[in-house]
Amino acid sequence: MYLLLSSETNQAADFLSVTAKLAGGFKTTLLLFFLTLLFAIPFGLLFACISRMRFKPLRYLMRAFIYVIRGTPLLLQLMIVVYLPGIALQKPITKWEIFHQNVPLAYFCGALFAFSLNYACYFAEIFRGGIENIPKGQYEACEVLGMTKTQTFFRVILLQVIRNIIAPMSNEVVTLVKDTALARTVSVIEIFFTASEILRLQFIIWPLFYTGAFYLLFSALLTLLFGILEKKLSRYWK
Amino acid sequence: MKKKLLTMLSVLGTVGTLCACTSGQQPAGTDAPAAASADATADTAATDSDYEYIKGNGKLVIGITYYEPMNYKAEDGTLTGFDTEFAEAVCAKLGVTPEFQEIDWDMKETELKSRNIDCIWNGLTVTEDRRANMDFSKTYLINKQCVVINQENASTYTDTASLSGAMLSAESGSAGETAITSDANLSQASYTASNSQQDALIALNAGNYDAIVIDYTMALSSVGSGDFSNLVIVDGIELANEEYAIGFRTGSDMTASVNSIIDELIADGTLETIASHYDGLTDLYNAAVK
Repeated sequence: MYLLLSSETNQAADFLSVTAKLAGGFKTTLLLFFLTLLFAIPFGLLFACISRMRFKPLRYLMRAFIYVIRGTPLLLQLMIVVYLPGIALQKPITKWEIFHQNVPLAYFCGALFAFSLNYACYFAEIFRGGIENIPKGQYEACEVLGMTKTQTFFRVILLQVIRNIIAPMSNEVVTLVKDTALARTVSVIEIFFTASEILRLQFIIWPLFYTGAFYLLFSALLTLLFGILEKKLSRYWK
Repeated sequence: MKKKLLTMLSVLGTVGTLCACTSGQQPAGTDAPAAASADATADTAATDSDYEYIKGNGKLVIGITYYEPMNYKAEDGTLTGFDTEFAEAVCAKLGVTPEFQEIDWDMKETELKSRNIDCIWNGLTVTEDRRANMDFSKTYLINKQCVVINQENASTYTDTASLSGAMLSAESGSAGETAITSDANLSQASYTASNSQQDALIALNAGNYDAIVIDYTMALSSVGSGDFSNLVIVDGIELANEEYAIGFRTGSDMTASVNSIIDELIADGTLETIASHYDGLTDLYNAAVK
């Protein structure tokens, strides 16, 4: 592809060095992606459970929180996490003890926090939908068979929930891959930041478009993975 | 020639397909076939006069981003600023209407080449690298870089030596960043690139950084006003300067025409009067012209 994209000067080195630079940025993208999933899935489950609780105040509080997070842009949430501690509380995020004056680390953790919370809320709604989609009859049947609630959930309900949520989850996970590009606004040096930096310093435009190849390749991997998962799970019902 | 054209078309084609798959933020990719044909005609018409082309259109499309004091919206919503008034004065002499077009600053070279805009007139810094993609008019302002800090640190940070252990930021790839990396003391400090000068200001205001390096004009217009009232410029720090000029298409005869108009505006004092409308710009004007 570089043969097509490079029209005039010194290319081979350029293409390789740009690829290396972008790959460096993509590492940060992937780190943000995987760590967000790592935190967002368990918290999503927790949020889903809380938003289905019988204890009303907690349930409504949880639902209100999910509403706020889902109702505001992730971009805004990123800015709140990174700037508000300094502006409102006089406790700038970069100067928190745990970050040891490491500014990039502070920003990355801030972004990770915002992403995890945001995706946990989306996941919570997917999980809740998946659980509530299980027909009441199944619970009744389990009760008749004398199964405890825990047994019912883990032996009968859970796998069906997983099957129910696979498609919406794959959707959300692929969206997350691309949403990580927002982190550049709070100085997280991910692939898009790297590409615009190359543009600003070397005045070459194609690396911006070239980032698309990285996202596409990774999304293809994820799609494949979810495809396999879906097939494996559907075996039990066909 | 034919080969070059073919390469260009395939470039745009590839970029277009790539873009179609991604989120397509870039103007160049939004309609690849149209852009490709526009570029092809641009190439064949390269021998024609850019001056005649613009005169024929009856308007000069000026690529800008909104920023004070160059091109910004006044309280009543009208566009104003040093570059805005300057461009209006030049266009009046040229006999064309100025049309200000907001662009994505990162895409300015593409916008210029694709003829979406005819020039970049927005506090554009002259750099050797940029000469590959555009021609510059004569320098009309010399902008300084300056260090901005929170007022409560005014006694701590007085010179570059006292900043060598601080947390610094500047816009990624900006003259401010160069000023930091080329300064013996500032390059010792912990540096984080910001996405824009505004982002750097917000982060400084939040206390995320101890100091930032931004344009003098930008600092003058923002520091001390609104939520930035607690920020101050550190006096007496001399950093690398940058020259402002207008960017035209490479090889365009507009550069010479506009240069002679600029000379007229300097001679009759018009430009100096425009500069006096904006805080601190007279200094930058004198540095460039006198």
